[in-house]
Formats: sequence, structure tokens, C-alpha cells
Amino acid sequence: MVALIPYITLAWLVPAFPLVGFLITSLAKSKLKHNQAGIIASTMVALSFITSVFLFFILNSSGQDSATLTLFNWVSAGDLKIPFAFLIDHLSLVMMLIITGIGALIHIYSIGYMHDDERVNSFFAQMNLFTFSMLLLVMGANYLILFIGWEGVGFCSYLLIGFWFKNPAFNYAARKAFVMNRIGDLGFILGIILLFFTFKSVSFNEVFAQAATLQSGAPILTLITLLLLVGAVGKSAQIPLFTWLPDAMAGPTPVSALIHAATMVTAGIYMIARSSILYNLAPITSNVMIVLGLTTAIITAIVGLRQNDIKKVLAYSTVSQLGYMFLALGLGAYSAAIFHVTTHAFFKALLFLGAGSIIHAMGGEQDIRKMGGLRSKMPITFLTFLIATIAISGIPPFSGFFSKDLILTKAFETSPWLYAFALGGALITCFYMFRLFYLVFFGAQRLSSAHPHESPRVMTVPLMILSVLSLFGGFLNIPALFGGDSGFENFLHKAVTSKESGEIHSATEIGLIMVSLSLLGIIIALAYRTYVKKSTVPAADGAPSSLIARIVANKFYLDEIFAALIEKPFGRLSDFLFKSVEVKVLDSAVDGVGTLTSRLGNLVRRLQQGNISFYLFAMVAGILLFIIFILIV
Amino acid sequence: MILLIILLLPLVTGLGILFLRNACTVRIVALTSTIVNLVLTFVLMGSSPAASFSAEWTNLMGIKLALGFDGISLLMLLLTNLLFPFIILAGFKREQKQVSVLNFLILLTQAALIGVFLSQNAFLFYIFWELTLIPIYFILLLWGGENSRAVTLKFFIYTLAGSLFLLIGIIYLVQLTPGIHSTDFSVLNQLHIPAATQIWLFWVLFIAFAIKMPIFPFHTWQPNTYTMASTQGVMILGGVMTKMGIYGALRFLFPMVPQGVLYWQNIVLVMCLIGVVYASVIAFRQTNLKRLIAFSSMAHISLMAAALFIYNYYAAQGLLFQVVTHGLTVVALFYMVQLIQDKTNTLELPQMGGLKHAAPKMAILLLMIVLVSVALPLTGGFIGEFLIIIGLAKQSIWMALFGGTTMILGAIYMLYAYQRIMLGDKNISFKNTTDLVRLDYWMLIPLIAILFILGIYPQPILNLVEVSANTMQNLLTSATGIVTTMSH
Repeated sequence: MVALIPYITLAWLVPAFPLVGFLITSLAKSKLKHNQAGIIASTMVALSFITSVFLFFILNSSGQDSATLTLFNWVSAGDLKIPFAFLIDHLSLVMMLIITGIGALIHIYSIGYMHDDERVNSFFAQMNLFTFSMLLLVMGANYLILFIGWEGVGFCSYLLIGFWFKNPAFNYAARKAFVMNRIGDLGFILGIILLFFTFKSVSFNEVFAQAATLQSGAPILTLITLLLLVGAVGKSAQIPLFTWLPDAMAGPTPVSALIHAATMVTAGIYMIARSSILYNLAPITSNVMIVLGLTTAIITAIVGLRQNDIKKVLAYSTVSQLGYMFLALGLGAYSAAIFHVTTHAFFKALLFLGAGSIIHAMGGEQDIRKMGGLRSKMPITFLTFLIATIAISGIPPFSGFFSKDLILTKAFETSPWLYAFALGGALITCFYMFRLFYLVFFGAQRLSSAHPHESPRVMTVPLMILSVLSLFGGFLNIPALFGGDSGFENFLHKAVTSKESGEIHSATEIGLIMVSLSLLGIIIALAYRTYVKKSTVPAADGAPSSLIARIVANKFYLDEIFAALIEKPFGRLSDFLFKSVEVKVLDSAVDGVGTLTSRLGNLVRRLQQGNISFYLFAMVAGILLFIIFILIV
Repeated sequence: MILLIILLLPLVTGLGILFLRNACTVRIVALTSTIVNLVLTFVLMGSSPAASFSAEWTNLMGIKLALGFDGISLLMLLLTNLLFPFIILAGFKREQKQVSVLNFLILLTQAALIGVFLSQNAFLFYIFWELTLIPIYFILLLWGGENSRAVTLKFFIYTLAGSLFLLIGIIYLVQLTPGIHSTDFSVLNQLHIPAATQIWLFWVLFIAFAIKMPIFPFHTWQPNTYTMASTQGVMILGGVMTKMGIYGALRFLFPMVPQGVLYWQNIVLVMCLIGVVYASVIAFRQTNLKRLIAFSSMAHISLMAAALFIYNYYAAQGLLFQVVTHGLTVVALFYMVQLIQDKTNTLELPQMGGLKHAAPKMAILLLMIVLVSVALPLTGGFIGEFLIIIGLAKQSIWMALFGGTTMILGAIYMLYAYQRIMLGDKNISFKNTTDLVRLDYWMLIPLIAILFILGIYPQPILNLVEVSANTMQNLLTSATGIVTTMSH
């Protein structure tokens, strides 16, 4: 038994390291020599990781469930008291370990990946700022500190998506991401305000303690949870606010790995898991999450089938996996969702970094139709990518199997239909991932101008570490079925309250696994036949194809629908309000009053030339008319 | 005595520099005067509790000069005296005609503004209120850009027309006072005017303040005036003079016609919230950078006006906090506009782009100001708007939703403008552009530093504002008290 309190004060170091890293790398940007910024930034995140590991062991051996560290009073106005405080418990520690652990690997990888970029120092400054914000998000002890991090990561995401700012399309993608996030954030902040009115506090501890006494299904709780959900939908890219995430692939690939796969986009899942007590009391919101999650998972998986940009495939797959996490949240299986966040962070970071290695080797080419035959040229990337592909497909004993199977089982417990749909999505995932894998690594090299080569050690070592995690990460939570003790879930149960669900018979469970495994086998064989045996290459853009294929390839025309329904009308409204309402109506009304006044003045002058009192009369009368006019208009 | 010094120092310095020839000396003397005034303000804040009332009575040429302050006027005084050093500094090393006259006019405006915020009777208030108009009129007319004559005339007549209503209102109020009539605020606040009278009197007083802020649809002078005005002129207008409207409303409407306020509250709130959305939407498609910022400023002011009329504790806190942040942001933003114009020779956004290549440090500082403007947490912009939205939500969640759209719309137009100025690769035309020079850092770094410190550690200002918010709260309770006693 270790006393927790004296050690918990160290928690402030965890976000402080990357903050210091940001300050050094940004202020001394022009003085730092090549690679120095990268080394400083990576060291800082690694130090955060070490501190987090230390805190992890301290918390485990202390026997306590959580501890709060208050730094100072941030805002105190009337009843509103927001301390700048951190909450260290099992949930925040899991997230901290993911952010700093995977973050450190991605930082190190970036030293190699961004080596030739002229603004490499800015890159690392922004990455450190992101890490700092993300840590605030998961460590905050109340909704407002969470919100600081929440908006902070959104801003860093904006910076890093538009990192190569010469390209207008990238800048547009960056803005789109920020604005779509902000739409969600408005819902989020309104939710927080309602929480404050309801519970007179925004601190997790106080809110949850009071919420436990409320009736399930209370309208105010439904409204609050729905508003918070709006925020999560924006941040975690669910329907209808998901189209920014595929566009966000404009950023450098390590950014996609860190922000748009492993950490930031899972913030919504974290926030809802954190609020599990509220969501358990809001069955309507839970049902909304089930529908949203499952729809997003399936639709984006279908879109992923027809994408040919390696990063876009992975982006749609991320959205789809986030959909599974929302499904789990809706089912009340919060720890299952966080478990999937964890394994997904392993294998999706690995996939993106692998993709980065491939893009690096192909001289910037991202089109999988132009790749092929990389298996022999890049053996380490090949092997690690294979591990990640198997993991995401959900094949035992790789990590993705355990987390996905947990969600599928929960779905079956609720309804076999949910299970069937979720499994369908998983099969599609498996197909597009193996399609990608075969097209990239098998067959003949299709782009003759490229000279692919294995990436340097600074990039391949993080790949190898991540592949070990993707391979064995599932063992964190071996279910009872395989003789395990569900360690990860039990660990989290001290921080999140999952819903009780009916146990299903272990024979049924084994049956389900058998069904899904044999279907996955068929899918992989099908992909192998199509893309290796027959060496089919997806048709070039613009080649004639069926209507459905076109719709899928164009992402159900969602971007176009958005543009037609929101962006264009917004621009037209802006023009209309300015050119018609502002200039023609309001402004000319004022001018009209002015003209009228002076005409009246002339009239009066003709009658009473030189009489000052009449001038005054005219003036006041004019003004009166002007006011009446304005009031009427 | 200190109040009188604070009031007269700019005036005396202003008159003095009229006799100086060297432009550089003029600016340094003017800057020194404003800095001394700022220091005096800090002394004032430190010497006595902010709420204490300290009146100074002087008979100056037969006019009773009564100066004093409470929490709200102290905050306004602080804002004015904090911004004017920067406004003077913004003129340094620039080609300007008649530097001594210009600086005299700027200092005269400062004195008049201080007079507005310190006056303890309606007569003096009105004198200073009108006095602000004269120097700013000449600053706009003589140092303004294209079309300054027509635009300034419109601005002048529009605001003057509003002020006349205020005058009528004041005269009406004064003749209600018992015995030998008085214009003292303390007397006017004690008039228990019949509800029916309050209902129409509200509009007589409200118009002047609504035009000054401006509140939709009384705003049409504002975009054109901002677009035409010189940098220093627009800093005075947007940074401080808009706050006169808020201050006037607090001084007159709430204590004198509280039932009028309550009667018209919903209609005025709708006007304010329309203003938020209307100005934000229009800002998106503006091609002239100054006009865009003018509409953006109107959107922020409209949200503050909504907070003013929603009239609860959180809204008041947010409003008064935002008064400070908005003033600082406007000054920083318009200085940036000046720099952008210097470097690109244009204010038209479609002709800009890629300035970040030539001026990366400037791009970073501009982005930081943009972040304050879009109310990112840990910047001063967030605290004020967050508290205002809490205040709105207390009244109705729909109002909070409409007011909150500024979070989204602000991000849309500000980031779009930032992209059009700084990003992209259109850097051919600005090849010889240099990055910031030392003077720019003196100007921008303190402003931005304050704006971020306000966001990271807002408590000192919140404490200062607390007193003012309580003053407002007391006004509200007395007003609702009257209403409840009437309804029983």
C-alpha cells in the first residue's frame, strides 16, 4: 500500500513536459539546428510517458480509485467555480498512457518522416502543443478543463492539417475540420451549461454523485446527454459531422496517425465513457448512439471499399471503427469502447505509420493503384502492416479480435439483428483492408518511376514496437471464455459504470466466434482471388462504372450534398443580407430620412427664411420621422 | 483630486503639444501623457476599494463639475486609459499630416471619454458625450481614407440625432425632479417614474445608446465609417466609443427606467441576437478586410448588448469582462490591418495571400489575435463569451443557442480571412515584404500577452468585475422589486 497523495502532485508534470517542449521549439525555432526540435519534442513526450507509467503503478498499489490535483482557481464567479484541476483515475491513466506512449513513438517516427521538410521545427512545436492539449482533455477534473483540451486539440488539428499551407485544398480541409468541430462544440458547451444549472457544478465528482440520485430518463438528463453527444459526434467524426476526417488526411501522415486515428478522434468516446453515469440514466440517448454508431460504421466501411488513396482508405476505416465504439457506448459497454479505443490506437497508428513509410518510399505517391510488389522491397513495413491488417480485421489472437468481439457479443446480447449488422460491417472492413494490403504489397510494381526502399531505423523501430502491441494488446483483456479475467474491463470499472447485461451461454459465444471467423476466412480468400490471383486493379477515375459504384466511390455524394445544402446557401445568404438588406433597405432607409429632413428644411426655409427656430424645428421633426421610419421598417 | 488630474491631463497635454513642431516629440509627449494617466488609474484602483464612491465637487466657470466612480465606471476608465497609449503608439513612425493637431484631437477624445465615464450628473455626462463627437469627427474627416467627407457626415448626423433624443430624455427626467431641479444621477435614480411613462421614455433614451454600440438595425453608419477611418480613428471608435453605448445604457436605462427595460427586454434581445447572426453571416463574404472586421466587431458587440439586456449575474460578469477583451482585441486587430495594408498595398482580400512566406512572425501573431476573436479557451475571448452564454442560457436555451452561433460563424469568417491573407502560395507580389519590426512588437506583444493572460488567469479581472456585476445585480433587484410590488 503506497500513499497516493504525495505522488499525485507529480501529475502536473505530464502535461507540463510537452508544454515546455512546445515553448522551447516554438520560441527558439530559428536557432535550433536540424533534428534538434524533433529530439527535444520526442524527449518531452517520452518523459510524460515515464511519469504516466509511474503514476499508473502508484495508483495501482495505493488501493485508491482516484485522486484530484488542484493547481489553481481558474474561474470563480458566483456559483460557477472552476478549479484548474486534474483527475487521476483508471480511465484518465489509460488515456494518458495511450497519448504519451503512442505519441512518443509517433514523435520519434516523425524525426525520420519530416526530416527533409523546411518547417520541421514548427511541426514538432505543433505536435507538442497538441499532446499538451490532449492531456488536458483527458486529465481535466471537470467539464471545462476537458473543454479547454477539447478546443485546443481542435485548433492543433487545424494547424497540422493545414501544415503545408501553400496548398489551398489543404487549407480548406483544415478550416472544414475546425468549423465542423465547432458545430459540435456549441452543442457541447450548451450541454455543459445545462449541467451547471442542473447540478450547480461542472466537476465530474460532484456531478456524478448528484446524478446517481436522479430518475432514469429524466428529460433534463436526456437533453444534456444529447447535447454532449453533439460535441462527441463532431470530434469523433460520426454521421452527420464526419466528412472532415477523410479530408483531414491533407496533413502529414504522422499527424493522421496521432490525431486522426489514435487520440483526438477518440476524445468523444472518452468524454461519453467519462460521463457513463449520466448516459446510463438516458436510455433515449443510448439508443441514438446505437443507431448513429452502427450507421456510421457500415456506411463509411462501404465507402472505404471504393477508395484508392491509401490514407483515405484508412481514414474511412477510422470513422468506421469509431462507429463501433459509439455502438459499444450506446450498448452501455463503456469499458468495451475504451478497450477498442486502446487496441485501435495500436493497430491504426501502426497502419498510418506503415502507410507513411510506404508513401515515403514511393516518393509521395498515395494511390494504391500505382503501388504493388512492395513486399520484397520493404520487408519490415510489409510484416508490420500485415500484423496491423490482421488485427483490424478481428482475427485471433491479434488485439482487434478481442476488442471487436467484445462489442459484437454485447450487440448480440441486446439483439441478434444488431449483431448481424455489426458483423456485416466487420466483414466489409476485412475486405477493404486486405484489398489495400494485397494491392500495395503483392503483384508487380505498377509505377515504374518510383524506387521504393525500406525506411530508416528511426521509422521502422516505432513500427516494430507498435506491431508487438497490435499483436499482444488484446491480452490485456482476455474474456472468461478463454480462461482470462477481463483484466482491462475490471481495471476500468473503478472509473466507468457499464450497464449490466444478460450473460449469453458460452456455447453460443463460441458459435458466434466460429461463424465470424469462417466468414472472415471467406472474405480474405475472396480478396486474395480478386487482387492477387486475378491481379485486378481498380478502375481509373472517370472510367465507366455502375451507378451504385459511382455513388459509393463519391462517398454517397455527401460532400456535394453538404455544399449544396449548407455551404452555397450560406454564401448566398451572406451576399443577400449585405447587398439587399444592408445596402438597399437599411442603409437607404437612413439616407431617405436624411434627404427627407433636408427637403423639409428647404420647404421651411422658403416659408421662414432666416428663422433659426424653424431650422431647429425641421431638424427635430426630421429626426422624429427618421426614428418612426426606423421603428416601422 | 486624482480624478480631476486624470480628466485634465490629456486635455492640458493636448493643448500643449499644439505648440510643438517636431512630430517625434509630439508623439513622445502624447504617449507619456497617456502612460502617466494609466499609472494614475492603477493608483486610483489600488488606493480605494473599487466600489467606493468618491465625488469631487468643483465650481468651474459656474458649471458644477462632479466627478466620481463606481465599479462600472472604473472598469471603463481602465479600458480607456489602457488603450490610449496603444492608440498613440500606433501612429509612431508613420507618414501623417499635422501630427500635433492629430494628437491633440486624440487626447481631446480621451479626455472627453474619461469625462463621460466619471460624470456624476446627467448634464456633465451629456456635455462630455457630445464632446467626444467633435474630435473624432475631425479625426475621421481629415485623416480618414476614401470618401471620408460623405461617410463622416453620415456618422456625425446619425449619432448626433441619437444624442438629441438623449437630451430630450434628460430634460424630461430633470423636470420630474422635486424642488429645485437637479441633474445628479443620485437624484435621477430615485425618481419612481410611472410604468406607462417608462415604457415610452425607454425608447427616447435607448436610441442614443443603440446607435452608439451599435445595435441592429441602428448600425448602418458603422461598417462604412470603420472601413473609411484611419487606424487610430477606428481604434478609438471600435475600442472605446462603442463601450460608451453600453455604459450609457447601464447608467440611464437600468436605474431610471427599469420597468421600461423589462417591458421591452424581449424585443431588444431579439434585435441583439439578430445582430449577432446577421453581422456574422455578412462578414463571411466581405472582401474588404476592414469592413469584414467591422461586421465581426458588430457581431461581438451585439452579443455584449444581449448580455446587457438579459441582465443577470453571469451575463453581467461576461459583458464587463468582454468589454475589456473586445477593446484590446479591436486595437490589436486594426493594428494588424494597418500592417497588412502597408505590406500588400491593399485591403481587398482576393488580392492578398501567402503573406506568411514573407512575414511568418506576423502570421503567428495574427493567428493568436484570431484565436482570441473566435473565443478559444485559455484566451480572454473565451471567458467573456462563455459567461455571456451562461447568462443567455439562464433566460432561455434558445437565446444561448443563437448567441452561441458566434462560436461557429466567427470561426468560419475569421479563419477564412486568415487563410486569404496569410496562406496559399501567392507570394510573388510581396517579395520585398519584411517581417515585423521592433515597434510592431512593442505594440502587439503587450496586447496579445494581456489577452492570453486574461484567458489563463482571469480571476483578477473577474474580481474587479464582480463589484460592477454586483452593482448591476442590485439595480436589477431594485427594478424587479418595483415590478413585484406593482403587480401585487
